Amino acid sequence: MLDYLFRRLSLLLFMLFALTAFTFSLNYLFPGDLLTNFSGQVNTSFSQSQMLEEKYHIDDNVLVQYGAFVSRLFQGDWGVSLSSGQTVASHVALLLPATLELCFYALVVAILLGIPAGIITSAYHKKWPDKVISTLTLLGFSIPVFWLALLLIMVFCLGFGWFPMSGRIGLLYEIPAVTNFILLDIWLLGFPYGGQAFLDALHHLALPTVVLAMYPTTVLTRFTRDSMLNVLEQNYIKTARAKGLNRRQIILDHALRNALLPVIKQIGLQFSTLITLAMVTEVIFSWPGVGRWLIDSIYQRDYPAIQGGLLAVSMFVIFANMLADLTHSLLDPVSRNQSHGKV
Amino acid sequence: MQLLDIKNLTIELPTEDGVIRAVDKVNLSLKEGEVHALVGESGSGKSLIAKAIVGVLNERWRITADRMHWRGVDLMRLSPEKRRKVVGRDMAMIYQEPRRSLDPTAKIFEQVAESLPDECFKAGFFGRKKERKVKVKALLHKVGIRDDERISSSYPHELSEGVCQKVMIAMAIARNPQLLIADEPTTALESTTRAQVFRLLKSLNQLKNMSILMISHELEEITQWSHAIHVLYCGQMVEAGPTKKVFTDPYHPYTQALVKSLPDYAHGLGHKAPFYALKGTIPPLQHLPIGCRLGPRCPQAQRECVATPVLVKSHGHSYACHFPLNREKKKCNPC
Repeated sequence: MLDYLFRRLSLLLFMLFALTAFTFSLNYLFPGDLLTNFSGQVNTSFSQSQMLEEKYHIDDNVLVQYGAFVSRLFQGDWGVSLSSGQTVASHVALLLPATLELCFYALVVAILLGIPAGIITSAYHKKWPDKVISTLTLLGFSIPVFWLALLLIMVFCLGFGWFPMSGRIGLLYEIPAVTNFILLDIWLLGFPYGGQAFLDALHHLALPTVVLAMYPTTVLTRFTRDSMLNVLEQNYIKTARAKGLNRRQIILDHALRNALLPVIKQIGLQFSTLITLAMVTEVIFSWPGVGRWLIDSIYQRDYPAIQGGLLAVSMFVIFANMLADLTHSLLDPVSRNQSHGKV
Repeated sequence: MQLLDIKNLTIELPTEDGVIRAVDKVNLSLKEGEVHALVGESGSGKSLIAKAIVGVLNERWRITADRMHWRGVDLMRLSPEKRRKVVGRDMAMIYQEPRRSLDPTAKIFEQVAESLPDECFKAGFFGRKKERKVKVKALLHKVGIRDDERISSSYPHELSEGVCQKVMIAMAIARNPQLLIADEPTTALESTTRAQVFRLLKSLNQLKNMSILMISHELEEITQWSHAIHVLYCGQMVEAGPTKKVFTDPYHPYTQALVKSLPDYAHGLGHKAPFYALKGTIPPLQHLPIGCRLGPRCPQAQRECVATPVLVKSHGHSYACHFPLNREKKKCNPC
């Protein structure tokens, strides 16, 4: 297992290398001045330019520049945003948790709803629960996420007024950022109206989470169903049935464990879609996350910010994928002993 | 007492081009403590019959039978839940591909322990864990697995096919079933393990009075110790009867061909001597001939063979043929 972990991590190194090389090359590919793309500082004086050129090794060859780029990445010096004048790293540190929070809750909802729904549909294959849930998932699968968001806003915010339309928390509350995960921050702060603030934050979370969870929930439902049906056809299920086990035992003891293994992999693969959808959701709900910031940066041609956001989001997706992969290998006895990692 | 009594078992597969009748009106009966062999080429529906008895066939197959009695209870009329209980209590089945019949994510110990019935434990809730360990160990020893510690803590993919087959047998005999259905238990095994498995099944039959329905290609091995034999061809039962009778004077041309096809090493084979075989091949399921399905390949075939022959029974030896062999009366004093 340690061997496997080591090989898997060495593969990760290659992926990170490719990612950083691409991000680095963006400096050259973006229009505009190279020095500005690197540093994010415009209209520099001569002496400042001299200093920056030295810092970014502009006069040296590309490899040295790349080396300096990577070492700066590790030091946390990700450049300065053109539009705000603050460092990109501080933006990412502030905004990425908001996106992660949203994605995490959406994924939790997707797992809690999608997997049981998938199990139910497979257990009642070709009966009415299967038909109802399958139709609903097809519907949820094909609804464009922005349209669903607008629809929910129209009904629940403007119509009933149950949920707020935008933001993470009401203006009444001032939550100092510690971890930048808002629910965690409220809990850590422990001020007298914490309970109400918590409820308010949950209210703000509800609609974006529902919108974002729609796609992964339906995908997981369908995937779990297919996987379960596939497993229920296998010989070992027939053996278990011939052994005299009842339906519940067969599904819980044998079918589920085998069927959920490919689902774990699928959850890892859903992360990239989830982040993309999160960007759309963030824009619609004015959620202060990294996705909205990235889209704004693209509009404003804020090149250092685009680089930084891209790097952060991609890195997160890669790590999430690897985590899912490791979980899968840890739980699957067949692939546990394989010594070679796969990308 | 008749343990299993099946009359006119028909298994059909509805397809877009009409219904395929994979097993056509098969009769089978089995007494307590008997070993019966189900013999036929691959695709003749042997495994289908076995799976239909245990009730694990897919839903797309249509199974009909005039009766399928298990100790006087008609299995076809029981609710699925009741049937599963009866089958789980009294029957056990060994499948063709042992490794694929074991759950890949569960350890052997769990899988064997799971097949132990709840009634067999004497200890209370707390002593049960220990008792289960002892019982699993005993079962593994019984089927000839010596290093039970290692085997019971491994996953199926870490074991050889032969060991998996033995584990399957251990799981099958855990409930002390009255009928063991062995669906080609030795096809995937090498010859030494094959002999061990046969010996094990034989001893189970002799010591525990366990009835065995054996589906196998190993004609020579089967003739040694089965009480009766059923010969299938393309889903039709062509001949059935006591093994010795069927093999010494077969009535049906197909059985005769089967017996002749066994190479007789005792009398020596000539250099490059041809093996005996019927001309042609088994028809695919979509193109089954009408009437006697052996018709196109049968050396005896005549015009009457386009009608399905009726099963004729005499002295416990039944056959389905319009022109049976060896039926002329033996003269008392041949001169």
